[in-house]
Amino acid sequence: MLTIKYFGMMAEVAGCDEERLALNETNFSNLILVLHEKYNIQKLAVQVAVNRKIRKQCENFRLKDNDEIAVLPPFSGG
Amino acid sequence: MQRYKKQIGLPQVGENGQEKLKNSKVLVIGVGGLGCAVLPYLAAAGIGKLGLVDGDRVDESNLQRQVLFREKTVGKFKVTEARKQLLALNSEVKIENYQEFLNGENALQLIKNYDLVVDCTDSLAVRYLINDACVLSGKAFVYASVYKFEFQVSVFNFKSGPTYRCLFPDEKAEVQNCEDAGVLGTTVGLSGMFQATEILKIIMDAGEVLSGKLLMYNTLFNRQDIFEFSKIEDLKIDNDFYNRQYIQPFSEEISAEEINENAIFLDVREGYEQPKIAFPRMLEIPLRNLENELCLLNPEEEIQVICQSGKRSLAAVKILKAYNFKNVKSISGGVIALHKLNEVVETT
Repeated sequence: MLTIKYFGMMAEVAGCDEERLALNETNFSNLILVLHEKYNIQKLAVQVAVNRKIRKQCENFRLKDNDEIAVLPPFSGG
Repeated sequence: MQRYKKQIGLPQVGENGQEKLKNSKVLVIGVGGLGCAVLPYLAAAGIGKLGLVDGDRVDESNLQRQVLFREKTVGKFKVTEARKQLLALNSEVKIENYQEFLNGENALQLIKNYDLVVDCTDSLAVRYLINDACVLSGKAFVYASVYKFEFQVSVFNFKSGPTYRCLFPDEKAEVQNCEDAGVLGTTVGLSGMFQATEILKIIMDAGEVLSGKLLMYNTLFNRQDIFEFSKIEDLKIDNDFYNRQYIQPFSEEISAEEINENAIFLDVREGYEQPKIAFPRMLEIPLRNLENELCLLNPEEEIQVICQSGKRSLAAVKILKAYNFKNVKSISGGVIALHKLNEVVETT
């Protein structure tokens, strides 16, 4: 299982600020694809972190069970 | 120095740190919620010089979070009012006001005279401009931004470290600002406190700066997370890039070399003027008739206006812009310049 945390407007799009996805034995690019299909994350220009490190979305590597994913949109208020 | 003794007593500050604060020049861009939180603490701490950039006036709806302003200052320029308050707080601080909005034309000039830049704006477009101008000027900038009960803080271009473009490379994000999304004054205030703390740390060389790190804070649940990000090495921000991004799109003229052959060519000369020019999509409307014949033009289309020397075409661009034409440029030097270039000029 992966834990996915949503920040800012992304939490509103996802309807929660955290969810668990049964996506073990998958790779990062597949997770990005799933998030695109589920929430159209491209539109929010989010960055995705794995275990608190932001990764390029074109990177491809294996995700491990219990990895913590964070979906981070840019903010603009001030 | 009596007034600073509480901070000088800290080993991370000391007389030396206080001297560094006194010798530093900090440019704060945006005197809204973040600016109002950051500025009094920078002034109180004894920063030598503060530059304030904002072209806006105080609105009643600002008072809920922009705590440098007073009811009686509604309608006044923000920089003027902020300066008064800050000088009342610390008359030793030099305060320079720039009653204007940051843009491609003024950014490099403004940033040049400061050691450190603080992004207190509420617009993504301006943030990329601050980023690129700071990269070109070799200055670090301290960033914070708010979304409802959350905020994010980071320091970019610190000792050539990662920049805002390394964190968010995609410029086309759809994000709401405070006015649209709603915000509590305390969230913006807290966010500004983190920003001000980073500024003081950078100047005093204390602790660890949030460079290559994005701090995310959720005030509703008191959650704090720090995410790391790396520098994108193949991002090239140079003068050419800056000009393409911030100068050319706003300039009203293009050179004969920059002509886009697929655009509409609008010749505003009189019918008898020579030489005639030929482009695939040509329109001829003499300048004196332009306002009466606007219906012949589409305001959404790219239009390049030409005349004999570039004077009437520039006047035409100003007219078209006044009628909300989006993408119109005058060809600098006109047909004469074009002729020199040996473009598709036909003499009849």
